[in-house]
Amino acid sequence: MREVGIVGIGHTKFGKSNVPFIDMTCQAALEAMDDAGAKTGRKNVIDQVFIGTMAAGMVQRISGLASAVVDTLNLRPAMAETIENGPASGASAVKLGFMAIASGVCDCVLVVGAEGMRAVTGWEGTDFVATMLHPEAEYKYGCTLPSFAGLFTRLCMDKYGVTSKDLSIVSVKNHANACLNPVAHIRNVVKLDRITDERIINATNPLVADPLRQFDMCPVSDGAAAVLLVAKDKQEELGFGGKKFIRIAGVGSATDTHVVANREVPTDLLAVRLSAQMAYKMSGFTPKDIDVAELHDAFQILEIAESEETGLFPRGTGHLAAREGKTEIKGEMPINTSGGLKAKGHPLGATGVSQIVELVKQLRGEAGERQVEGAKTALAINFGGFGNNVVATILTTK
Amino acid sequence: MEEMKMYAYKCKKCGKLHHPRYIVCQNPDCDGREFEEVPLEGKCKLLTWTRVYNLPEGYMVPWLNFGIVEFPNGVRATGQIGFDDGIETGMELVATVGQVRDKVIKYKETVTEPQYGFIFQKA
Repeated sequence: MREVGIVGIGHTKFGKSNVPFIDMTCQAALEAMDDAGAKTGRKNVIDQVFIGTMAAGMVQRISGLASAVVDTLNLRPAMAETIENGPASGASAVKLGFMAIASGVCDCVLVVGAEGMRAVTGWEGTDFVATMLHPEAEYKYGCTLPSFAGLFTRLCMDKYGVTSKDLSIVSVKNHANACLNPVAHIRNVVKLDRITDERIINATNPLVADPLRQFDMCPVSDGAAAVLLVAKDKQEELGFGGKKFIRIAGVGSATDTHVVANREVPTDLLAVRLSAQMAYKMSGFTPKDIDVAELHDAFQILEIAESEETGLFPRGTGHLAAREGKTEIKGEMPINTSGGLKAKGHPLGATGVSQIVELVKQLRGEAGERQVEGAKTALAINFGGFGNNVVATILTTK
Repeated sequence: MEEMKMYAYKCKKCGKLHHPRYIVCQNPDCDGREFEEVPLEGKCKLLTWTRVYNLPEGYMVPWLNFGIVEFPNGVRATGQIGFDDGIETGMELVATVGQVRDKVIKYKETVTEPQYGFIFQKA
């Protein structure tokens, strides 16, 4: 298998986009191409474009997004496909880009993740995200993604002693990290006592899906992120020799039951565990080698549970690690230095690519105030559905 | 009133019970494709629950309660909980069937079609 790495990254400011959806998507793509030094028109060397988006068709009324972007950027006749895997669409697109180069079919692939969610009302947004759920066993009841996060959180609280305050500790940490990230959606300091004080909690941090409160879940964001992948053996020839090569050392993905109620152990996130194991095996790394991780914290309980399923902490202790500050930027296992989905924002299809962009910055040593000193190997988990289709990616400078 | 009943689906080859309906038996050692309908009703145990305040489009209520239950035959199901007070994990409930949503169908003119499902009540 050929070595595949990242030589260009791009990222729009997450939040509310003020430009047309295709423009926003192209903005991230061009930034990644400029970062790498990739050209358009006759000088284009990109063989393939993959675009991860969940709801461009549903929300933006734009289908065939990849075809539109290739034309807009004058990359014709590059191959182009739009990839949909719910909120894990971005990492799936990166995975497919990796596979296209590793297999020898392509030498250079542009991957973009993009979502414009704030074009619709909160009601409509909640509804279109919920269409990932099982239509007969879940969706028709009015269940949403926060509903399942609430059901899951209560189980974790009962089984492992996770508290509401633990979720707030994760949230406060991610908001603090986002304050250091210029492209984050929410850049406000959040104080723990303001969102946990029983006397004011219903005003400052109201229940959304009991026991989950507002600060236990991510905002609704627009945004796009992009990476340019190249084969190691073609890096010089294609004109990217001057860029640091961040190697994709391992990818893994796995599925679990569509119906959440039918999971053998309801507190397990089996697809997270299996995808991480696959990525570890391909890379030759173990959890002990990971210096920094971006974990899909659409709900704060997921950061805790994923930190255990990926082997970064023993089962049932992820919340204790957060309490002890181990997951802070200067902690022993920094998680979500970007601010995570909680504060950087969660434009569904963009998230998986955005996680990779953050980790590339960390591994290049370009993360500024949120830099993890000496970071060499990194892990990303992008979580589709309510954990029924998960993608893990391991990057390294080694 | 056929739509007012809920079923488990028993694989005719290995006997495994399923809910909801599948095309292929979910037993990893079986490849059955034929199922027998078994009424799914009566007592069940609440495994976990939530009260949700930000509901999708179409629900004109301030909140809904959702739960995952397990029936004595081992089948689990998600549904609405039809009462507000005294909901506790582990409590015994009774599975009833009622209207859980209006499905909106937009074709020539917009019509709604009631959808039925589990509404769990106090035992």
